Amino acid sequence: MSQEIVQVENLNLAYKNLQAVQNVSFSVRTGEIVAVIGQNGSGKTSTVECIEGLRRPDSGMIRVFGKDPWLCRGEVYKEMGVQLQEAEYPMRIRVEELCRLFADFYERPADWNLLLTQMGLDEKRKRPIHKLSGGEKQRLSILLALIGRPKLLILDELTTGLDPEVRRNMWISLENIRKGGVAVIIVSHYMDEVETLANKILYLEKGKQQFFGTKQGFRDYVKSRVTPDEWEENLSLEKLYLMIAPKTAGLTMEGIL
Amino acid sequence: MKGFAAICKMELRLFTRDFFSFFFALVFPVLMLLLFGGIYGNIPIYEGADVRMMDVSVPAYSVMVIGVTGLMSLPLTMSGYKERKIYKRFDASPVGKKSVMLAQVLANLIMTLAGIASLLIAGKLLYHIQVKGDFLSICVSMLFSIAAMFSMGFLFTAVGRDLKSATLLCYLFYFIMLFLSGATMPDILFPDTIKRISALLPMSYAVDLMQGVFAGEGLILYGKELLILGAVTALCAFAGAVLYKKKDWT
Repeated sequence: MSQEIVQVENLNLAYKNLQAVQNVSFSVRTGEIVAVIGQNGSGKTSTVECIEGLRRPDSGMIRVFGKDPWLCRGEVYKEMGVQLQEAEYPMRIRVEELCRLFADFYERPADWNLLLTQMGLDEKRKRPIHKLSGGEKQRLSILLALIGRPKLLILDELTTGLDPEVRRNMWISLENIRKGGVAVIIVSHYMDEVETLANKILYLEKGKQQFFGTKQGFRDYVKSRVTPDEWEENLSLEKLYLMIAPKTAGLTMEGIL
Repeated sequence: MKGFAAICKMELRLFTRDFFSFFFALVFPVLMLLLFGGIYGNIPIYEGADVRMMDVSVPAYSVMVIGVTGLMSLPLTMSGYKERKIYKRFDASPVGKKSVMLAQVLANLIMTLAGIASLLIAGKLLYHIQVKGDFLSICVSMLFSIAAMFSMGFLFTAVGRDLKSATLLCYLFYFIMLFLSGATMPDILFPDTIKRISALLPMSYAVDLMQGVFAGEGLILYGKELLILGAVTALCAFAGAVLYKKKDWT
């Protein structure tokens, strides 16, 4: 019997005059991967940062393992691993030192030596963090999210900066983690990733929740939003998404060269 | 507790890897002692005086060490962590940014004490300096001086919008105080105008207090210095904490 790990009800968050998140409600259960999708600035990261206890919502209710993540951050993080959209680490610290440090935060950490090997970072263990490539830093971020053997994993732009092979391997790993009963939230712009991994989709537009449900449910939702002439069966998730996502105006490189 | 100990260890290690902090907190003050000791020798501060040049230089350079850690190393580390969102990353872990900040204060405190210890050892071995003050009074005077400088540094990180502006504030105040407080050259050499400016600088009171207590004078004679350093600590820590609360950490 799967358990509800994350509950979000009527979440609202504003930055000065900008309403970043409006009435968002969804839940995540054990063994489930929920993908949060939407354009840049649609409120994806703001939503997950509220769940991570990094931002205080203006209103609404969030429970992670039955606790308020803003008030009980220390407790919640004992069972939650997070990969932030952008994360830096202290200058001059080495890869293995950072792994050892994060392992010391948990009572029963994972074997970080094994994780280093699995992430292809074994040869980089003595290297200072600031000398890692973007993809290596990304892999290290994912490793640090896994180091506490989390029951809830939040990955904001999981495979950004990773080469295709590593990306595929990451998908396989994440699927195995899910099968182990871990609840996972991913924020992604890659619809092939969402199609492969997600059990459920949360779709946001300008901070407003447009859809939450299964992939088949998303297909039906898109069908309801387009005219019969526009609709085609068996479209990929990316094509479905492009059919309904607001068009970004003014973004062109024509005439530059 | 295990996590906090690990962060303290990491911050100490990173301090030793930062050339600027390490050199100016542990090496440079000793070099100053050797340089000025070599030029002037350990002569009495005035004819017939019991106290000699190096006896007053060691406590003055000790304040220089406190200035390096409190006004440069600590605030610039904190501003860098804030700007590069390193605190945010630790907030997304069981320890949180407050533990990291506390570890940074502790690491800088330990390195301050190490810097002062190296000055005392060098002074004792090379110039046979006399420390007449009692241990407790010296500890109290160091505590007040460290608290005031660290709080000022904390305020600079809170006032500075980013690392650049915090760096500007820290450099500006550090060098003004370094040269005009008596930490590098005796304030009896200052003309009246500079003395008036010096009287406005918290570091001047730390230098007077440390020199007096090292020379064996009782803390009771330094009520004004203790009061000013205590007030600077309270004011800067309070203002810094208020400003920090308003900062967007994400």
